Amino acid sequence: MAADLGNSTADVSVAANEVLRATGLAKSYGGHLVLKHVDFAIARGEIVAVIGENGAGKSTFAKIIAGVVEPESGEIQVEGRRVAIQSPRDALKLGIAYIPQELAYLSNRTVADNILLGRWPHRGGMTSDVAIMSAARAEATKFGIDLHVSWRMADLTLAERQLVEIVKALSRSSHVLVLDEPTASLTSGESQKLFTILRQLVRAGLSVIFISHRMDEVFDVSDRVVVMRNGDVVGDVPTREATRPQLISLMLGAAAEELGTQRPGRALTEAALELRGWAWTGEPPIRDLNLTVHRGEIVTLFGLRGSGGEAIAEGLAGRNPKFTGSVVVEGREYPVFRTITASIRAGIGYLPAERKRDGLVMPLSVQTNLTLLVLRSLSRLGVTQIPAERAMAQRMRDTLQIRLRSLAQPVATLSGGNQQKVVLGSRLLTNPRVLVLQEPTRGVDVGARYEIHQYLRSIAEQGTAILWVTTDVEEAVLVADRLVVLREGRIVAELTDTSKTQGQAVALAAKDAA
Amino acid sequence: MARAVDEEVDPGAPAPNDAPKRDAALSGRTRLALGAMQGLGLGGFYIIVLIYFSVSAPFFFSASNAVNILSNVSVIGIVTLGQAYVLIAGGFDLSVSGTVPLGGVIFTMLINRGTSIPEAWTIAVLAGCAIGLANGLIITRIGINALVTTLGTWSITVGLAYVVTNGETVAFNDLNQGPIDNVVLGMPLYVWTMILITVIAFAVLRFSVYGRMIYAIGGNREASRLAGIRVDLVTTSVYVISAGLSSFAGVMLAQQLLAGAPTVGANAALNSIAAVILGGAALTGGVGGIPGTVVGTLVLGTIANGMALMQVPSFYQQIATGAILLLAVGFGRLRAVFGQLAG
Repeated sequence: MAADLGNSTADVSVAANEVLRATGLAKSYGGHLVLKHVDFAIARGEIVAVIGENGAGKSTFAKIIAGVVEPESGEIQVEGRRVAIQSPRDALKLGIAYIPQELAYLSNRTVADNILLGRWPHRGGMTSDVAIMSAARAEATKFGIDLHVSWRMADLTLAERQLVEIVKALSRSSHVLVLDEPTASLTSGESQKLFTILRQLVRAGLSVIFISHRMDEVFDVSDRVVVMRNGDVVGDVPTREATRPQLISLMLGAAAEELGTQRPGRALTEAALELRGWAWTGEPPIRDLNLTVHRGEIVTLFGLRGSGGEAIAEGLAGRNPKFTGSVVVEGREYPVFRTITASIRAGIGYLPAERKRDGLVMPLSVQTNLTLLVLRSLSRLGVTQIPAERAMAQRMRDTLQIRLRSLAQPVATLSGGNQQKVVLGSRLLTNPRVLVLQEPTRGVDVGARYEIHQYLRSIAEQGTAILWVTTDVEEAVLVADRLVVLREGRIVAELTDTSKTQGQAVALAAKDAA
Repeated sequence: MARAVDEEVDPGAPAPNDAPKRDAALSGRTRLALGAMQGLGLGGFYIIVLIYFSVSAPFFFSASNAVNILSNVSVIGIVTLGQAYVLIAGGFDLSVSGTVPLGGVIFTMLINRGTSIPEAWTIAVLAGCAIGLANGLIITRIGINALVTTLGTWSITVGLAYVVTNGETVAFNDLNQGPIDNVVLGMPLYVWTMILITVIAFAVLRFSVYGRMIYAIGGNREASRLAGIRVDLVTTSVYVISAGLSSFAGVMLAQQLLAGAPTVGANAALNSIAAVILGGAALTGGVGGIPGTVVGTLVLGTIANGMALMQVPSFYQQIATGAILLLAVGFGRLRAVFGQLAG
């Protein structure tokens, strides 16, 4: 059924009053093609939802339309005229406004300053706070959004900041409004308000490209749904003709059927890792969370971004001392780790999500990076024993099949997949009893991804407990012995072999259980 | 003071519904109070400095000494204004230490060859602007970090000043070439010049669209770019302003000394950055302002003056400048910690 709809996208048909058309957009980052060949069109007064999994290319597509990144090939037409959008400034001039997924604002300035950023009212180049405040208040009132325009952005809640960004974009979008997950931190009431405003503006002729992963919203607000997968548009259907299962299977593609491999059930009796009564008041709030990972078991903790998985992984790594509760590792109970060292001593190996920022020292050699965590054991009187270090690095290279010219080459010169193996190797050298992995295959090519999966499975079979935190549903289903679904800081389901499907996991995570 | 802040922070038990709003309001007020404390902090500190020297330093408390202080800070004061623009825009300009002597030297060489003062002055300032343009283009186009870029151009401009004068101090041929020394309404013309430039710098930064853009690019470059602000252009412009003002100040210094010397101005970078930071700016950009910067300049100038009057050897001034800078920034850091506890 996915194939049928896939074919229909070759012809992007849109009503006569077309506002924007993109043809053959392609973009790659570091040799990895994130957009392959995207055709897209939107008519005046239309709301088009763009949906897809993480990494499907939705955000890159939005950024190209908004002028934030330039495509490598393809062209964009606005009202039938070919345009070059090389900067956000160009896009704004064409009447295209954009709200990025990661909000960008001036936290030290007032709400008013932010709403009118870059186009403050002025007379002969001079402006004033009074004029800015009243103009900003007028904008907010126009869209029926209640804001304290004189407050500093830093003093607002996340949701309020998002509303400011929405007013900022609404007030400067004459033609097309591009929203990348605009409701991520809004309550459902606030989201409804936004949709009401959008519907009004659309009646007045605005076109909206609405990027989302929440099914409810898609059905609530859009006229048409465009589904993306792996950098391609794989579906384009009027919303009233679409069904949830259809959209989910389009998003997941063939992967949906291939996966769900059964593993022989093994008796898992000994708990290797237990989280007891974890709580914190951050975003999202977590209350009394309990979780057990047995020896030899891979548990994936799956949730949409911002569901709390990241916070939990960082808590286990000692990077987030704000948690309360306790951790039991191999029968020994600890309070939540206050420091990273405490976590390592307890026997936890933690693989951070951002390998370039948190995992590797990019200019240093592969060998140095591999042994970074075990330098002490390699040192005699403070002097590193080079032969021992080298032997250790060689062993890891062979075990993980790290492809390199030399162990002395800077880790920055390796491919993403091999870099990730280096991070993993450096953790394995500490002989952890529990591995906490955060997005371990993000930005990793398919081959290396497969090898990493295989290897992790093999060490699990030897008794290591693995807690695998991910926002990638395909991976979550594929590798898990047990899949724990997290939604807004709460564990909402545990799926085991028979019940474990991607569709179900996504539905649970997105509050869409039909 | 701290106590009052603590009391404000405790919101009691707000209804769950409006809790976020109230928290935000309180933390807004708390921040305002803390901001005022810091404002008072530097102003209050300055008053303490004034009282201390009035009591301890002979001849300190007099109108003529006040004019003296203003005279002494007129050159560095102008450099500091440009530095404030750069720091608020999120940059850094070490090259002022080279532009100051180069401006003075160019001016001196020109008038000694018979160029008129306005012409020589204009050429010197334009030369400065060219250095600023180079800084700006290197930083925005080539993408070299501001610290490294301006360290490089500092060295180059100082070197150029030595080359132009052959390493010597060049005296004015005509020692009557210094109308800037004329006293008008009780103060030398160069003090009035500094005041005029300060007022303009304040008005532009505070009330113009361009000024807002400087705060915006310093506060969040990406947000500014997304909002259609030409961040590279604005970035380059602040380096042009900084170098132009430094060169202008260098000319003024040459006129005070009746000579152009490649050796002057070596402390301009340190002192100007110290004054701007004292005045509430941050190296991360987006905060600070001209009033604070002026007080920062005055604090450093007054301490130098008072110590001189007390016949403390001048090299102790450097120690004092460094200590005050660390104290002020340390206070700011403590404020941030308290702010976090409060918020």
